Formats: sequence, structure tokens, C-alpha cells
Amino acid sequence: MADIRGKFTFPGGTHPPENKHFSENSSIEVVPVPKQVAVLLSQHLGAVCVPTVAKKDTVTAGQVIGKSDAFVSAPIHSPVNGTVKDITLEPHPVIGRTMAVIIETAEEGNAPKQPVNTRFDKNFDPNDYTVEQICRAVKDAGIVGMGGAGFPTRVKIEPNPAMPKEVLVINACECEPFITCDYRVMLEWTWQMLAGIRLAAKAAECEKIRIGIEDNKPEAINVITDAIQERSDIGDIQVVPVKTKYPQGGERQLIKSVLGKTVPTGSIPPTIGICVLNVATCAAIAEAVMTGNPLTHRVVTVAGCAIAKPGNYYVPIGMRVENLIAHCGGLTETAAKVVMGGPMMGFAIADLSTPLTKTSGALTFLTKAAVTRAKYEKQETPCIRCGRCLSVCPEHLNPTKIAHAVKHFRMDIAQNYYLSACIECGCCSYVCPANIEITGYIKTGKILKAREKKRLG
Amino acid sequence: MLSKITVSPAPHISQKLSTRGVMGDVIIGLAPAMAAAIWFFHLQAVGVILTCVTACMASEWICNLIRKKPNSLGDLSAVVTGLILAFSLPPAIPLWAAVIGSAFAIVICKMLFGGLGANIFNPAMAARAFLTASFGMLMTTWTVPATVDTQMPKISATNTVAVTQATPLAWAKSAIKGKADVKEVNAMLKGTFWGNVGGCLGETSSFALLLGGVYLLIRRTITFHIPAAVLIAAFVFAEIFYLINPDKYSMPFVQLFGGGMLICAFFIATDPVTAPLSAKGMWIFGVGVGALIMLIRFVGEYPEGVMYAVLIMNAVSPLIDRACKLIPAGGKPHVQ
Repeated sequence: MADIRGKFTFPGGTHPPENKHFSENSSIEVVPVPKQVAVLLSQHLGAVCVPTVAKKDTVTAGQVIGKSDAFVSAPIHSPVNGTVKDITLEPHPVIGRTMAVIIETAEEGNAPKQPVNTRFDKNFDPNDYTVEQICRAVKDAGIVGMGGAGFPTRVKIEPNPAMPKEVLVINACECEPFITCDYRVMLEWTWQMLAGIRLAAKAAECEKIRIGIEDNKPEAINVITDAIQERSDIGDIQVVPVKTKYPQGGERQLIKSVLGKTVPTGSIPPTIGICVLNVATCAAIAEAVMTGNPLTHRVVTVAGCAIAKPGNYYVPIGMRVENLIAHCGGLTETAAKVVMGGPMMGFAIADLSTPLTKTSGALTFLTKAAVTRAKYEKQETPCIRCGRCLSVCPEHLNPTKIAHAVKHFRMDIAQNYYLSACIECGCCSYVCPANIEITGYIKTGKILKAREKKRLG
Repeated sequence: MLSKITVSPAPHISQKLSTRGVMGDVIIGLAPAMAAAIWFFHLQAVGVILTCVTACMASEWICNLIRKKPNSLGDLSAVVTGLILAFSLPPAIPLWAAVIGSAFAIVICKMLFGGLGANIFNPAMAARAFLTASFGMLMTTWTVPATVDTQMPKISATNTVAVTQATPLAWAKSAIKGKADVKEVNAMLKGTFWGNVGGCLGETSSFALLLGGVYLLIRRTITFHIPAAVLIAAFVFAEIFYLINPDKYSMPFVQLFGGGMLICAFFIATDPVTAPLSAKGMWIFGVGVGALIMLIRFVGEYPEGVMYAVLIMNAVSPLIDRACKLIPAGGKPHVQ
């Protein structure tokens, strides 16, 4: 295989050990249906859903169990057949506790849902569907960005006369260490993903499609390039190998690398005519449009030294972490941290009964050695002003200044140094020799600022 | 087993780099210069270095004890301060003066400001300034390296200033004032590269300092900005003066390799605590240090300008930081 070198990149960033070897060669495996699922009513950014079912109701797989009328929202669905046991507070990886619909799965008629990738091939034609059909299907399926933030996809791809979009950038970087779920989707569900990309491009009225892939995934680059070449009539679609560097998969960074454009601070990509979608999201779009299946399952990478059987699993959304751990052979004795998401941006969870959400692409199980001793023991030493955080910041901020302003509740200074421009990638904390939780302070600052705004009305 | 699982903000991994590691690298970077110092000045050097390092560590330990703070010797920053102070002292300095200087550096210049990371001035340079002001004679008495058997050659019959009593730069300055031939002086000073000359402990061997500086650059303990800015600014400054009047001012390369220029560029001005944060700020800071050193050397009364140049730039470095505020990658936001 020819050595592929990405030419394009962005300034700043860092190179954490990739650690993809745990799971990159494991095919996507369907897990058995758990006895109980807990579907959180707050899966992502935007409005919290209101349950549409009551206690003791019987639900079927794919049935809507929660929705919201807010513009930025997405409905949620039951992944299994069963009965609603309760609607109660459950641990949430990000916001502590939130309401969830708990469903006991029926004992019969509950074969695990299989991926639908076999229904897609190179003959797929997005022109079989109208823009309205696509948007409707995406909305009803409750699809959100599956790469992390979970912004409702419908809002992104719907035609918007105020912000016409020209370029669709597919985020296939997967720059976080350990995570391989998008990589496996690219390899195994290539046609499904391409179908989703073309559907999204059609809905968003994008003429140009660019797929940004880090050059540490040459196989994925080849597979997708070959697939595109098999269909010469599918328009301006290109694979762009980019340099392997964290956070290459941040949408602002990816746009800089792939198109050379800069998204203005405080703006979103559509303001400069760009729409960014993640690989798994595209696969979900294709499934929703073709089969009408809602987003109830996703691929989750299980990786790290502290788990017996790492791999990529096709799991129902709402499955509890402890059930997946049990399926993967259990934690090893050395487990020190369970992270939902990758080690750079994921959320450490304390309660293993936390359910998986639409945005949890990975579960990373870290040992004390992987966490590093200083971080494990939370030894923070004074800032020596070495400036490493400034040099790695992909947004060209002054992280130490912001962090120390927040530490002393000087929100005016923090804001003056562009607190809100931070993308929370974690590069600054990663390189800090004093082991200061810079990103943590900045996140706290953002929360304090939001509270202040709320208080002032 | 569950009790062992911990939570903290992301990221959950970190580079295996600590403040101790950074300081350790600086110590390794200073090792060649230390070896050179011991090679040239024998036991005198060992005594001064050991005294300064021990006194610095002891001062920090006592300060933490009095302030009821956890012991911070583990970060090795006191060792670095001690080494740099020792390297900027004359070899023949009485050990009691070295102890006073070390205590001043740590207690007054570092711990009273709040410890590591909070000091405004480079502790070693501030202590050296204190010693110069208090014990002027001790600080300007230079001995020849123990490895030099005979006195360095006299400049000419018309001038009797002996090199044995002065650093090369001081010697050159007075020699030129004494109407010595600049070309002859230059030729003689070129020999300073290996370090077999009088001067402060650590600054004599340019070769050893370059070696250590390159190590720090390779290890990325320091970035190239400050050393490059200091050396380029000093070179340009010296070159301009040399071009204007080659009879009065010595060659630029002599200025770069002589005196404390190299130890300043690689080890003193690069002290992260007292230098600006941003790359642009580092350039300004470095150029300021380089230009001030040359200004003091050429125009001022002192033969050597490193100490005051660094202290002056330390004082303005918070202002530089404020002036060089970074603009986010996406430009300034329209609404804050």
C-alpha cells in the first residue's frame, strides 16, 4: 500500500499517543439486547425532551418516547420492545443527573438489531428522494451529530436561505486517541456512509463534498477513494488526506486544513457556507432515509488497557455502561478511570450505571499508568509561564491567562482573553508541565458566565 | 474495586512532562558549563557551585517551613537558581558572600513574591545585582583559570593592564581606552571560545554553553525565540557600532562569545517565569535584552551588561505580555 501523507493541517495542536491498536482491527460486533435500557431525555445540546409515554406503557422498538417542540431538539426513540418501568433520574455523563425513560425489555421478540449496511451498494441514487423527504426522515429519526457535541442534524442540513451552503465537509478524522468507531464505519459501511453523504449534500444543496481523513488511516482513505472512483457520476466529491494531529477533527480546525478557510470567532461554519458532518451521522442519515429507522443504535468503541475485550460494538442507545463492560469481559484490576468518549475530550464517569447516549462514540478504560501518576493524584504545581499551552492552542488563545482569571473569579479578564472562543480540545492541559487543569478551569468559566447571563436575564 | 475509579475534567491523559522534568533538563543543559567551570577553576568552582546550590535549597526549605507550605524542593527550581547564580559569580568570591547572595535570591526575590512562578525578577540576576551593589570589590576580582600557567599575553608595551585581573571584556574595554590596537585585542579575544580565560564561573566556555543551549533547544525545554532574538539583536547592535568605528569597538563575534552573552541567551533570559508568554512577546523581550547588553557594554561604565539588561527587561515583561495580547485564530469576535 502506498504511503499516504496528508499535506494539510492547521497551526497549533499536539500529538498524543494514538493508541488505536486496541480496536482498529476489530469488526463491528452486535451485542445482545440488555435486560433494561435507560434512554436519557437529554441526549445532547438543545432542548430536553418531554416523555410521550407513561409508566407501564408497552413500547416497540423505534417508537417515539420523548420529543420537544423547540427548534434545536431531536426526538428520542425506544431501541427495544418492552414496557416502561419508570421515568426517573439517571446519571448523565455530562450534566450529572437527568430524567430518563427506563424500559424493561420484553423477553420474546427481541432479536438484537442488525446494521443495515448490506442494503446499500454503489447503485444508490439520492435523487430517488426529495429534499423534503430527506429532511423529514432526518428529523423524525432524531439524528444528531454523533461525533461529540450532538447538534441536531436537521438544523444543519435543512436548506436555509439566510445561510446558503456550498461545501459539505465530512469529518472522518477521528483525531481522539483510542476511538476507532468511525474508522470501522468507513471500512465496513462504506456505501451506506457515501449514500448518507450524498443525501446530506442534496438536502443542504452543497455542490462540493470534501472528506477529511487523517493520514494515520490509509486503509480508510483507499477504500473510500476506490468507492468514489467506481461511481464517476456522483459529482465533485474528494477525499482529502490531512496530517495526523490532535484536534484535526475539530470542525474549525478541519475547515482550516481542508479548505484553508477560517471560521470567524464566535460564528458557526454555515456563516461561511460550510456544513460539517461526522461519518457516523452520515451513515445514520442514509439508514433513516432509506429504511425509516430512527437513531436507536450506534457503534461504540471499547478500548484501553483496563478492559478485557476491546472492540467496536453496535449497541442500543440507552444501554448502561456496566452491561457493556460485562459483555466485554469486565474491567481489569488496574482500572483507574472510565471515560465516556476519548481521553482528550471525554467525560470521566463515576457511576457505571450511566447509560450510553447518541453522542458516546467510545468508552475508554484507562489504567493509572495511562492516566499518568501526576494526573491521577491531581498534583497541581504553580504555573511557570512556560507558554506551552499558548503554542499548542489551535484557537490561538492564552489558556493559562484565562484559566487563572477563572480560578480567581475574574470573569472580566477571562472574557477579555476570549474565554468563549475556547473549543475545549484539552491540548493545553495535555502539555502543561505543572499539570494544571487548564481546560477544566475554562469549562468552569463558561458555566459561570452562562449562570451570570441567566441571572442578569 | 469501584472505589478506585476517579473522575476529573478532560483531558484524562497528559504528556509525561513535569516542572521537575523541565528544571532537570535545564540542569543537564548547564552540565557542560559546570564541567568547564570545574575544569578551568578546579576546587574554587566546586566550592562556589556547591555553596550556592546548597544555600538556595536550604533557604527554600526554611521559607516553606516558616510559611507552613509543603516542601517544594522537588521541583528543582532552587537548584537551577543556585547553579545560575554560581555561574555568574567570580570564582574567587568568598563563600560567605555566595551564601548571602543565594539567600537573597530565594528569600527576597522568589519566596517573598509567592514562590515558583510568581517572581518578577530572575532571582539569580537580582541576587547578583545585590552582591554587586553590596560587595563591589569581591564581585570584580577575577582570577585566572587554574589551567593557565602563565599570565595571558600583555597587550602591548604601552599598556600594562594585565588580563589576569580582568574578564576579557573588561580587559578589552580598558585596553581600548588605553589606546591599544583594537585589531590586536580582537585577535586575542577570539581565543575565548573554549573558555580558557578569566571571568565568571559559568560564562567562560562558549563551547560548553552552546552545547547546553542546543540540548535545551532539542529537548524543546526552551524555544528558539529568546536566544535568537538576544543574539541577533546583540550582533546587529555590535556590527553597527563596529562598522561606524572599528577602531573603538571590538568585533561583534567577540561580543557574542565573550562575557555572559551566551549564558544569558540560553539560560537566563529564557527563564520562563520572568519572560513573556507569547512568541511575539519573546522576540521583543529578547531584542530588548540583546540591545541593552550591548548598550551597557559599549556606552555604559560597566564592562558587562547582562545582569541589568535582564533585570530591566524582566520589569517590562508583564507590559510586553499585555501589549502582545493574542488574537484568536478566527479574529476578534464582533460581540463579546
